[in-house]
Amino acid sequence: MLRESKLYRVLRYVFLIAACLFVIIPIIPLVFMAFKTGAEYSTTDVLTPPNNWFNTYNFRYAIRVGRLPQALLNTAIILGVSLSIQVLFTTMVSYVLHRFEFRGKKIIYGLFTLTMFIPVVTTQTVVFQIVYRLKLVNKMPSVILLYSGVGIVGIYIMLNLLSSISKELDESALIDGANYFRIYRSIILPLLKPACTTLVILNGIAYYNDFYIPNLYLNKDVQTFTVALYEFFGNMATPFEIVSAAILLGIVPIGIAYLFLQKYIFYGLSGAVKS
Amino acid sequence: MKIKKVLAIFLAVILAFSLVACKGEDDKEADKKLSDESDSSSDKSGDSKKDAKDNGNDRAKDEGKSNFSGTTLRVYTHMGNRVLGEEKKDENGNTYRDESYAYLKHLTDRFMEETGMIVELNVITNEDELRPLFQVKDDSVDVYTAPNWSLEEWAAYAEPYFTVEEGIEQYGEYALAMPTVGDYIYSVMPGRAYNQAVVYNEEVIKAAGYNEIPATLAEFNDMCEAIKAMGVTPISLHRIENWPLATVQDFAGYVAGNANVFAECLKTENPFSEDAPFGKTIKMYTEWKAKGYFEPEIYTDFGVAMDSVAYGRAAMMLFGSWVVPQIQGRVPDGKDPSIIKFAPAPDFGQGRYVLAAPADNWAISKFSKNKEAAREYIEYIANDAKFIADSGFIANKKGVEPIVPELYAIIDEMVEAGKCNVLLSPAQDENYLANQEILTEAGLWADYKYVGLLFDALDMANPNDWSAYEKQVEAQNKAYAMYKEELGLEWKE
Repeated sequence: MLRESKLYRVLRYVFLIAACLFVIIPIIPLVFMAFKTGAEYSTTDVLTPPNNWFNTYNFRYAIRVGRLPQALLNTAIILGVSLSIQVLFTTMVSYVLHRFEFRGKKIIYGLFTLTMFIPVVTTQTVVFQIVYRLKLVNKMPSVILLYSGVGIVGIYIMLNLLSSISKELDESALIDGANYFRIYRSIILPLLKPACTTLVILNGIAYYNDFYIPNLYLNKDVQTFTVALYEFFGNMATPFEIVSAAILLGIVPIGIAYLFLQKYIFYGLSGAVKS
Repeated sequence: MKIKKVLAIFLAVILAFSLVACKGEDDKEADKKLSDESDSSSDKSGDSKKDAKDNGNDRAKDEGKSNFSGTTLRVYTHMGNRVLGEEKKDENGNTYRDESYAYLKHLTDRFMEETGMIVELNVITNEDELRPLFQVKDDSVDVYTAPNWSLEEWAAYAEPYFTVEEGIEQYGEYALAMPTVGDYIYSVMPGRAYNQAVVYNEEVIKAAGYNEIPATLAEFNDMCEAIKAMGVTPISLHRIENWPLATVQDFAGYVAGNANVFAECLKTENPFSEDAPFGKTIKMYTEWKAKGYFEPEIYTDFGVAMDSVAYGRAAMMLFGSWVVPQIQGRVPDGKDPSIIKFAPAPDFGQGRYVLAAPADNWAISKFSKNKEAAREYIEYIANDAKFIADSGFIANKKGVEPIVPELYAIIDEMVEAGKCNVLLSPAQDENYLANQEILTEAGLWADYKYVGLLFDALDMANPNDWSAYEKQVEAQNKAYAMYKEELGLEWKE
């Protein structure tokens, strides 16, 4: 029994180490490349460490030529505004769907679910035309508008938490004279804070990494981080040592956010599954 | 109860907001209106084209400024190095952009100064980025370059530049190889280039005991063996991408001594067999692979492939003249960039050839509101032999004195001495398109699969076993014959 347990423990560690390596190995060449010169990148293997670990030329070049600080600021504005709107709408929608009974509720819920099965790319030609007619192409509000929509995953997360919030709280507030909006604002919304954080993190990471929408809808003056990265890509050749440095710079803010907020991510994912 | 209704309406609005993929009658009407407006503006500009051009030119001569002074033109080009500068390495090996190579930017600055127009240069990584704008008939693009578009796309998104007759008058036979649909040429190509030849590092081949690219295939193979024996890759192919296989299509023309060899596949049932030009060319490439002449490693991108020649880790590339300035720009600091040289391919059986083709696709957007100003800009480019030479091409417009880059003089000298023949790039005529249709239906056209599937069939773990290659030849010949019959397409004289 003891031997079995040891074997199990060894195997567990072997699998965990292998899983870690799968994740870490692709990042190693990225770090190596970021510190290499262009000539080194062209003449050495991707797994060969750089000659000079203090070569910061690529980082400085990426910041200056790629205008990364401006791109990161644009990304922050887009994420800040769109996620705020999305959280507001998602909590409102979820509150109504969970607490009220009205005709067509199931249809509305079903339609929200249906949107989950429509691949975004298939609708983009039409969506682009609509956004174009609204004269929003090449302007930041286009992407904010597209990112602000309510998604079914967000609703699932909210509904899961709403199930654990007692309806008696609403009823007590009603008896005390609060209207529905007051109940939403003063009771439901504060209690949904963990789920809201989860939604912000999940969609924040997705939007931060999204290339398709900002590349399609924004021009160079308002480009996001991922599109700024693409500026380094040439028609024929790409200086990957500079791209690697830029990627490392882009990982920093999202890495910090993850370190501080990871417990909400795990909470949200398990909650969504339970729902 | 009332509040519930309000909330229900609110919900419906939110739902509509997330389901934007709907299109009603109003949208269709708006579409039509936009289309009508665009068409009418296109027609109007078409009618006034000649008058405006003549008047504009006359007035520009009189006043020293263009008739379109003050007009803002938006230019989109995929050739970023001509706007941002060539990517080079400094003395420490770090990458930077050398703005003295930003030839289009310099030309545009001059153009703006002379005409009083304002030109915004935009770099695109590929022409796909323009497609969404054209699909909504956006007028923000005036001039653009797009080398990889199909003829359908040219006709849909570009203003006819001139008629075929006018094109021949200005550019001779080269006009026939410009994107043509019906009687119109949709993109003017003001330069000409020598395509599919040998771009080589002179230091490497000298170290292998050769002063120039040998004239015959046997000698060329001997040189590759000598280079390989030095531990250097003889030919840098960059197979990880599909587009480098385009060379094979053009080399088949050299094998047959006939530029129309692609279209003439229609004359045979077995174009991939060894006795047909295509089959012979693909087999020659695959034999080079079996002998280990191509790079064993995978290059992460084409820049690294070019660096391999610039740094002498590989001896050659088999591409067009367009690649030469880019490799020269990558030669390490302290070395003379002119070690990168250009020569015709060896004799593959019918003599030595180079493929001459028009180069540099410039077009006016069909939806531009500044079509005449756009034309003036493109004509300014077409008349500037120095800009065209700096771009790696030779000015081709009649009346423009060409500046032949020194690099290509060797070709001209060999042509004059009768040691090399020039094949003119073929037009995409009915036969060409029919052959393309057969390959498309057979699933062999996209990404040069008709070459790639054969080339990849040979397993380098066992380079002497050609059975998989032969099977693939048989399968492709069968598919070609089947779809040719099914589509009822035959060679037309």
